[in-house]
Amino acid sequence: MVALTEMTNLAVDLIDVRKTYAKNIHALRGVNIQVGRGEIFGLLGPNGAGKTTLVKIMMTVVKPTRAMGTIMGRPIGHRGKLAKTGYLPENHRFPGYLTGLQLLDYYAALAKVPRAARRASAPKLLDQLGLSKWGETRIDKYSKGMMQRLGIAQALMNDPELIVLDEPTDGLDPVGRRDVRQLLLELRRAGKTVFLNSHLLSELEMVCDRVAILVDGLVARQGTLSELTEHTVEYRITFSGDAQPIRSKLAALRATVDGDLVVLSGHDPAKVNAVIDLLRGQGLLIESVQPHRFSLEDILVEAMGGTAPQPQSRERQRADKAS
Amino acid sequence: MMQFWALIVDSFRESRDRKIFWVMLVLSVLVAAVMFCFSFEQGKVNVLFGMWVIETDYFTGITGIKTDVIAALVVDGIMDTALGGMGVLLSIIATASFFPTFLDRGAIDVVLCKPMPRWKLFLGRYVGGMVFMGVQATIFVVLTFLVVGLRWGVWLPGYLLAIPLVVLLFSYLYCISALVAVVTRSTVAAVLLTMLAWMAFTGVQSVDDLFTSKYPKWQENKLVYEGVHAARWIVPKTQDIIYLAKKWSRAANASVLVHADNDDDREMVDWATKVEIARREMNPLAIIGSSLLFEAAIVLAAMWKFSRRDY
Repeated sequence: MVALTEMTNLAVDLIDVRKTYAKNIHALRGVNIQVGRGEIFGLLGPNGAGKTTLVKIMMTVVKPTRAMGTIMGRPIGHRGKLAKTGYLPENHRFPGYLTGLQLLDYYAALAKVPRAARRASAPKLLDQLGLSKWGETRIDKYSKGMMQRLGIAQALMNDPELIVLDEPTDGLDPVGRRDVRQLLLELRRAGKTVFLNSHLLSELEMVCDRVAILVDGLVARQGTLSELTEHTVEYRITFSGDAQPIRSKLAALRATVDGDLVVLSGHDPAKVNAVIDLLRGQGLLIESVQPHRFSLEDILVEAMGGTAPQPQSRERQRADKAS
Repeated sequence: MMQFWALIVDSFRESRDRKIFWVMLVLSVLVAAVMFCFSFEQGKVNVLFGMWVIETDYFTGITGIKTDVIAALVVDGIMDTALGGMGVLLSIIATASFFPTFLDRGAIDVVLCKPMPRWKLFLGRYVGGMVFMGVQATIFVVLTFLVVGLRWGVWLPGYLLAIPLVVLLFSYLYCISALVAVVTRSTVAAVLLTMLAWMAFTGVQSVDDLFTSKYPKWQENKLVYEGVHAARWIVPKTQDIIYLAKKWSRAANASVLVHADNDDDREMVDWATKVEIARREMNPLAIIGSSLLFEAAIVLAAMWKFSRRDY
C-alpha cells in the first residue's frame, strides 16, 4: 500500500468541513480527511459524532456551512462528479412498488447510465449480491437484508470510482456481512475507492486500509490501523511469587504491578528484558509474556475520552467471577 | 432528458400503485357505461336500450328535443362535477403524498446524490405528479367523448380540449400542494391547504361574478370592487378555465338554453347570461397565462425551498 503522504492523487480531500445547524448546533467543527484512490477508508465514531452529516455533505445531500477540498478532483458539491460516485445511505427507503430490476434501472437512469449499460449490469449485480432470483419481485416483499444488498447494488450500478457506504452491513446476517466484505475487497482490487461509515469496528478492522475517528465533530485520530495502534502496545507479563520487594524498581521502568501481572506500556523490548531480569532476580517464575496491541475499539474509546479496558490479574478475575 | 423521463415513469408507477388510481378508473368506466345506457327521443328518455322509457317535459324550453343540446348539457355537467370537481379533488388527494414520500429520510438521499441539479429533480417529480391527472382525464374524456359520439351521434371534438384544460386546472392547485409538501413534508397539510386555496380562488371569482352580474350596485364601493377584481387576475382562474373547456366543447350555454322559456328560472337565466357574457369577453390566453404566472411563482418558491434545504 502506498503511504498517504506519497499519494498525489486523492479520491477524497476534505479540508475544514464545518456544519452548523439551527440553534447553533455544531455537527462538524472543521473536519480534515484524506482518502487515497483505491483504498478502503473507514469512518468511525460514537453516535452523534457527525459521521452521517459528513457523508451527506460529501454526497451533496446536506450543504456545509463551510467546506474546502475536493472529491475525485472536483470541489465538494460538484454535481457532475456524482455520475461516478455510488452511495448507500443509512436507513434507506426504496419505493416498494418497484421490482429489484426496476429500482436499479431507475436509479441508474438518474445517474445518467445509458439504457444498454443499465440492462447489462443490473442482472449481473443482482447475481453478485445473491438476489438473482428476486429481480422481478416487488421490493416491498424483500427482507431487510435483501434490501441492504439491493442498496449496495444500486450504489454500484453506475460503475463508480468512489463508493460511499453508510452502515452497509446493517441488517445483514453473518454470511451477508462476509459477502459484503468480500465485495469490498473485490472493489479495492478493481481500483475503486471505498468510503465506509460503520459502527461495526471489527468489520472496519478487517477491511480498511485507513480509518478516521470522528468525535464531537472533529477528527480525533486518522491513519492506517498500524499507525493508530503502534503507540498503543503494551506487554503483559504473568508470574508466580511475591513481587512486592521490587515494586519500586518496576515502577522506575514504568511497569505497573497488579497481583501476579506486570503491565509495561510501549513497544520497547529492552525494557521488557529488564523487567524479566528483575522478576527472575527476585526468584519469581515467569509464566507468560504477551505483547498486546490495542484494538480499534480501545482506540475509539480512548479517543472519546474514556480509558481502554484494563488487563486484570488472575486474583482480580477470580474475585470478579465470585462476585 | 433520460433523468427527467425516469422521474416521470417512476411517478406513473407510483400512481398506478395507488388504489385511488384504480378507483378513479373504475368510476370513469362506470360513468361512460351509464351514459351508454341512455338515449333520447322526442319527449322521451330511453334507459337500458328501451327497457325503461321515461316521459319528460323537462326539455320543453327547447323546440323539440335535440340530442346535441342533451350532449352539451351532459358535457356541461361533466365539466362542473365529474372532471372539474370530483376528478380534480380526488387527484389532489391522490397526489398530495407524492412529495412527502419523495422527501422521506432515506428515500431522498439516494436521489439527491445523483448528478442532476435539484431544480431539475423537483421539476421531474412535479411533472410526474401531473401524469396522474393526465392519465385519468384522458381516459375519462375519451370514453365519454366516444359514448356521446357513437351512442348519441353528437361529435364534440372541442370536448377533447378538456384534457389539457383539466390538467392545467389541476396544476394550478398541485403547485400549492407541492409547495406545502416541500415546506411541511406533510400529506395532510398539503391536502388541507390546497383545498383551502381552491376555495379561496373559487370565492374570489364568484364574488367578482356577483359584482359584474347580480349586484352591479356593489361596484360603487370602488376599493372593494377593484380589490376583488385585481385578486381575480392574480389567483388561478379555476372557474374560468372550466368555462373555457365548456365553451370549446360548445357546452357553455346549454343550461341557459334549457331554462330559457321557463319564467320561474328567468332571474337565474339573466344572471347566468350576464356571467357568460362577462366571461366571453375575457381573453382565453389571459385566463390561462395569468394563472400560469401564478403557478410559475409558486413552483419557483417550492423549487427554491427544495433546493436550499438539508435532508
